[in-house]
Amino acid sequence: MNWDSTIGAMLFRFFLIGFIVTFIGACGGGSGESVEENPNTETLTASSYSGPVAQTSDIENFRINFWSNVIANNRCGQCHNENDQAPKFARTDDVNLAYNAVNPYVDLNSPSLSSIVEKVSGGHGCWLASNTACADTIAAYISAWAGESVAGNTSSITLVAPTSHDLVDTKDIPVDSSLFSTTVYPILTNYCSDCHAETATIPQSPFFASADVDTAYSAALSRMNVEVPEDSRFVVRLNSFHNCWGDCSSNASEMQNAIQQFSDAIPVTTVDSNLVTSKALNLLDDGIIASSGGRYEANMIAKYEFKQGSGSIAYDVSGVSPELHLNLSGDYEWVGGWGIRFNSGAVEDEKGKGKAQGSTSASKKLYDQITATGEYSIEAWVTPANVTQEGPARIVSYSGGVSERNFTLGQVLYNYVALNRSSQTSANGEPALSTNDDDERLQATLQHVVINYDLENGRRIYVNGEYTEDLDDAGGGSLSDWDSAFALVLGNEASGDRPWEGVIRLVVVHNRILTDDQIQNNYDLRVGQKYYLLFNVSEWVDLAEAFVVFEVSEFDSSAYLFNAPFFISLDPNAVPTGIRLRNMRIGINGKEVDVGQAYAKTSVDLDASSYSYSLGGQVVSTIGTVVAIEKGPALDQFFLTFDELGSGTYVRTSSTTVTPVTPADVPDDERAPTIGLRTFDEVNSTFSVITGVDRQQSSVLSTFETVKQQLPTKVDIESFLSAHQMAVTQLSIEYCSALVDDTSLRSTFFSGFDFNSGPSSSLDTAGRAQLATHLFNGIIGVAQDDQPTEAELTTEISDLLNQLINDCTSCSDNAARTQILVKASCAAVLGSAVSFIH
Amino acid sequence: MPTQKYLDLTIVEVLDKFNPMKKLSWLTSLTILFAFGYASLAVGSSVDQAKRIHDRIAGVPPSATVLSDMITFIDNNNPQAAASLAIENENFYLVTLKNMVAPMTNVDQDVFVPLDDYSATFIGIVLNDIDFRQVLSGNIIFVGDPSLNLTPYAPDNNLHYEALESAINSNSVELSTALVQRSQSDVIPELPADATAGVLTTRAAAKAFFYAGTNRANFRFTLLNYLCKDLEQIMDVTLTPDRIRQDVSRSPGGDSSIFLNNCIGCHAGMDPMAQAFAYYEWDYDRDNDPMGELGRLVYNSSSEMDATTGTRVQAKYHINSSNFPYGYVTPDDSWENYWRASNDQTLGWDAALSGRGNGAKSMGQELAHSEQFAQCQVEKVFQQVCFRPPSDSADRSQIASMITNFKNAGYNLKQAFIDSSVYCMGD
Repeated sequence: MNWDSTIGAMLFRFFLIGFIVTFIGACGGGSGESVEENPNTETLTASSYSGPVAQTSDIENFRINFWSNVIANNRCGQCHNENDQAPKFARTDDVNLAYNAVNPYVDLNSPSLSSIVEKVSGGHGCWLASNTACADTIAAYISAWAGESVAGNTSSITLVAPTSHDLVDTKDIPVDSSLFSTTVYPILTNYCSDCHAETATIPQSPFFASADVDTAYSAALSRMNVEVPEDSRFVVRLNSFHNCWGDCSSNASEMQNAIQQFSDAIPVTTVDSNLVTSKALNLLDDGIIASSGGRYEANMIAKYEFKQGSGSIAYDVSGVSPELHLNLSGDYEWVGGWGIRFNSGAVEDEKGKGKAQGSTSASKKLYDQITATGEYSIEAWVTPANVTQEGPARIVSYSGGVSERNFTLGQVLYNYVALNRSSQTSANGEPALSTNDDDERLQATLQHVVINYDLENGRRIYVNGEYTEDLDDAGGGSLSDWDSAFALVLGNEASGDRPWEGVIRLVVVHNRILTDDQIQNNYDLRVGQKYYLLFNVSEWVDLAEAFVVFEVSEFDSSAYLFNAPFFISLDPNAVPTGIRLRNMRIGINGKEVDVGQAYAKTSVDLDASSYSYSLGGQVVSTIGTVVAIEKGPALDQFFLTFDELGSGTYVRTSSTTVTPVTPADVPDDERAPTIGLRTFDEVNSTFSVITGVDRQQSSVLSTFETVKQQLPTKVDIESFLSAHQMAVTQLSIEYCSALVDDTSLRSTFFSGFDFNSGPSSSLDTAGRAQLATHLFNGIIGVAQDDQPTEAELTTEISDLLNQLINDCTSCSDNAARTQILVKASCAAVLGSAVSFIH
Repeated sequence: MPTQKYLDLTIVEVLDKFNPMKKLSWLTSLTILFAFGYASLAVGSSVDQAKRIHDRIAGVPPSATVLSDMITFIDNNNPQAAASLAIENENFYLVTLKNMVAPMTNVDQDVFVPLDDYSATFIGIVLNDIDFRQVLSGNIIFVGDPSLNLTPYAPDNNLHYEALESAINSNSVELSTALVQRSQSDVIPELPADATAGVLTTRAAAKAFFYAGTNRANFRFTLLNYLCKDLEQIMDVTLTPDRIRQDVSRSPGGDSSIFLNNCIGCHAGMDPMAQAFAYYEWDYDRDNDPMGELGRLVYNSSSEMDATTGTRVQAKYHINSSNFPYGYVTPDDSWENYWRASNDQTLGWDAALSGRGNGAKSMGQELAHSEQFAQCQVEKVFQQVCFRPPSDSADRSQIASMITNFKNAGYNLKQAFIDSSVYCMGD
């Protein structure tokens, strides 16, 4: 292993945020090519402000980007004004005092980690239905305020030892839904299906009351705490007065009892006491947030992160007013790790396929902000469900129907497609710019896609941080023809008839193009919340505060991503010496997971030669793996096991060898026949061997090439077709014709037969017998039990010749006719089962 | 219906008058009986047995002389000698073996393909009684005898073998005498000796299985053709997935359960094995020859670095890396057989081998030294000769016996033909 490079990788990861933010500073504010920001000047009541002017530029930034957005009576200004509740950061008498009041509660370096954001995320003063959306909006205000301050940030993630949990025996949720169907499910279908089912009038995801019990079970798993039923989300929500069907307390008790009943029937999984294990952790309670910013969003005007995980609104958390929230409708579902899946399966009516659409009035924000700059960038993290949809299927569209739009990002098979209305294109944004067919840029996996549009280059498409180099022949043009009456819609056309299937995990609209570096930066930061999980292994390595650290995230609704583990002791003075780490595995809820153990072959010696506290410890592995979610991120308890770690060893019994099962005898009446067809080459060679005619004889060769693929390719006699017989007949005729036409060959094969007289003489009784004998000797050879006798053959040939002669009263009685009849007789035998089947 | 004349009669008339199924009642009934699954005919006499042995081995009936000799052998209780005589028939190589190997040489499993270096090498190994395991690892190739003055072997076309086939078809030469053995590394200068792996590194195999894609095809089809197993049959989702490359989406269509329940089961075992082909590529003109008909096999030797990967690893091993950036990045051509540690160890891996190595040669050896390889060859021959798979305990005992004989004969595939034909010659 190249430790120089791995330590470099460690550095990159450990101080990821700091570096990224530094990088942004270079490409965002520092570039001479960068454009002037277009600050949000929309305020709620700020226009009436008559207090002292901002004393510094930072206060002015605060005033424009934060203060003016929160002072409204329906936001923080309702309480945190100059007259009421401290801190008085929404006071309207003096913006400088408001600035002083808020400073203790904001972190300009990491806006999302600001305490004010944390406060709002808990529901304090939230003006939206989603606390998460409110928190993100506040964070966006702070980010906009911070501006260049954020760009100068070089802070890093600080790893803090989590509270250690010992492994406890847990209950292994059954895979099968049958227990659920008789305990909790009846309550859900009785009382929750008016909303939480796909068939509801206004379906509300998650569909834990679905008519399909497996679907319901899957959605309900993370909402039932089988260890502590009263902590179940179902119970907590009822206790919070969420759509009770009677007395909330009673309803909550009824639900709790049902979950208890479900729990009681599940056996406890006992942790193997011989395992060498780390301490246990939960993602949400014990994880350290690893991603807290760094994206380039200076010019964003709408942003959707889909964090809330439920409800029918996707919130615009850009912080740019007016908020362009999107109403979710049709067949959609929230997915884990932040995202929305648009489906088409549950609702047959195309109008009912999923989409997220904003109002035309709120969507006008896009028209106003983009036509002002003449350029834009649409950025999205998407997972197309397949590579077969077309239309183009609308992923992000600002449009009025199938034939009118301002812009659209769509999918056609393996391609991303960009449509844009300008002075160079039609009202439908055509001609479309598509990625190259041969490149197959679009894959049915998580991808970062960006559409840039500006006057200089027109449309440019970027996939996974890379410019596709597909040129926009239409070029850039004026956006003056844009229509302000269109609506922003995701996953479909505004008219509902160009559905797109897949998952959208992030959409950001910027009113400036993103530079190549900015796109690469945003791609590198990926999407979704990432955490560091610090698994305590001090017990085995005789080092204080020793941890194996993973970067963990919700990969999607079904799995976690565990990535790039490294070893570190939080004691700066501690150094490992020759500690063997072998065969590491991930455990969930008391047992090692069966699938996804990508570290099971890990072999690392933790040693001073490879370890550096300041550089982030020591790499254990550079790869990532996905493991299945069991109870959900709030409940799943993770741990690690090792076959060897320091003083601990675990002797893993070898895998059980499976003895192959002896198959049952095939019954006699089902056995394959023991005889079969000759295949194409066999037929040809057999005819050649029998007749002596060369396979290269021109008419034979020509016919064989013509009928070759019509002849059998398999010996299986049950695959016999009339087409086979047709081909064999044609080929046998050619061989017999060539045989009779070749005087040398025929004199050998039909020795003594008179080819120079008419049938009346050559094929008289004696002649026919002679002919039959030659055919028998030449084609059948010697008497065999499974072949006709010479007498049988003679009879059949005689009958055939009778018919051929008698049926043709106008035929000449000459040598030519005799030869024809011999050819016919020869072909009848050669092309029959005598030689075709063996 | 075509109006082409046959013997001055239209095809309609021919079928009407000459169709043996119509006119020859005994043949008609015979054919119909067969077509409806009449299991077998009583084959009792040594004549019938001799004829069946010959038909099944060579695909054609024997000459009177050969039949007579075979009958004698059988009457003298030596049917093995009779079968050996049948194997001497030219059509055993030209028809039986060629059509047995033809579908192995291409992804469509098409049997209507010309002779090429893959099929010629396969036939030649049997012809020269070479240890058949060499088919996946030997520095062997069979070409047309230079004395025939054929178009020379070329790395960018198949004209040599097409010329050989023409010569055979025109009866100017027999395949069994026209094929001569050469070192693959001599015939294909691109390949150093340690990069040769029998048919796996022939031009035809490269054209079929290294064309575009990720080179996994060469492993999958080798598994299919020489271990008689497709990946689904040996998939194991519990294998360690640390060598699955970045191009495999862990969340296809946004659903990782698909990966965890399906994709991982094949890729976890396949990717560390297919890594053996990391230095091979099918090089062709994508613009003017999109199907790669005129392409050639290339191999990055120790001094050749790929511009994309910066190592000897071909760029195709790093394609679509953004599908799962946290996946395995192939650094070299080291391979490892994870199935050895699988619960399903019934493939019978050779304990004398380490189960890991570098390059296609040792990987081919790993496959060819398995019990399943021997069983697969024997069962394929059994099916070829007996027209059915092993169906009962007697058949399975016969297979076991044939495997032993196959090994004892130095992995000579002719032995399996002899044993099968005798077993299925009838009582």
